[in-house]
Amino acid sequence: MTEKGGPYKLRPPIMMVKVEDTMDIMIVRDTARRAASLLGFTPAYRAQLASAAATLAELVLKTGEAHTIHLNGIIEGVRIGLQISSETPWLAGVSANNVLVALRSKLGDLVDEILLRGDDPPTIIMVMWLNSGGGGGGVS
Amino acid sequence: MALEVLLVEDSKTQAAQLKETLESLGLRVRIAYDGPEGIREAIENPPALVVLDVKLPSMDGFQVCRRLKRNPATQDIPVIMLTEKAGPQATMSGLRAGADDYIPKDIFASEHLISTLQELGLLE
Repeated sequence: MTEKGGPYKLRPPIMMVKVEDTMDIMIVRDTARRAASLLGFTPAYRAQLASAAATLAELVLKTGEAHTIHLNGIIEGVRIGLQISSETPWLAGVSANNVLVALRSKLGDLVDEILLRGDDPPTIIMVMWLNSGGGGGGVS
Repeated sequence: MALEVLLVEDSKTQAAQLKETLESLGLRVRIAYDGPEGIREAIENPPALVVLDVKLPSMDGFQVCRRLKRNPATQDIPVIMLTEKAGPQATMSGLRAGADDYIPKDIFASEHLISTLQELGLLE
């Protein structure tokens, strides 16, 4: 099973938060920390992932429509990671390169990968790997 | 004997609330009300943990954290930054300064603080 629009196979935890008002940003941040904790990320990396998830939630909230943020464990070979994603219909028709440049300038330090997949609707996907060379800090 | 936490927080109200939370977990708490005092306290009597606010008078929490992490006498003391600044840049600034965790002051703060204390082996 892969997340719609995402390239990686899902594994638990599978979590989602509907973002409708500013209180939900706090809940997204909390849920990201919990998901990262379940996967074995160290506190510092949990903080990074929580900040990335909250920033994505702030971004989608600004569109004025309810969105769902998905926080899923993922697996690729021996690598395990956390994927944070949201469908972004308001980005349909916008240059993927421009979107990625903007997202990477704001969030690139916080996660290992930022992807924009599909176009009906486009989905923003952020990934941090637990046991790759550069990120995560933990061993599963 | 209870582990000691050095809390560096300029707001007396917030310091008192945090002190109460930490003491309810069985920890002893010392308070420093600005950065230089916090650094001095950490060097003279190293605590088991520093809980550090970002917004402090005269020297901000990032500077305090960097100084603690550069000093051989204090570099191994875990530092948790507890802050109202929770955006991506502030988070990365805190972690790059050497903080072990960066927790926003929101309704989940106490819970995350407890979770991190457990992770650091400071609570059962």
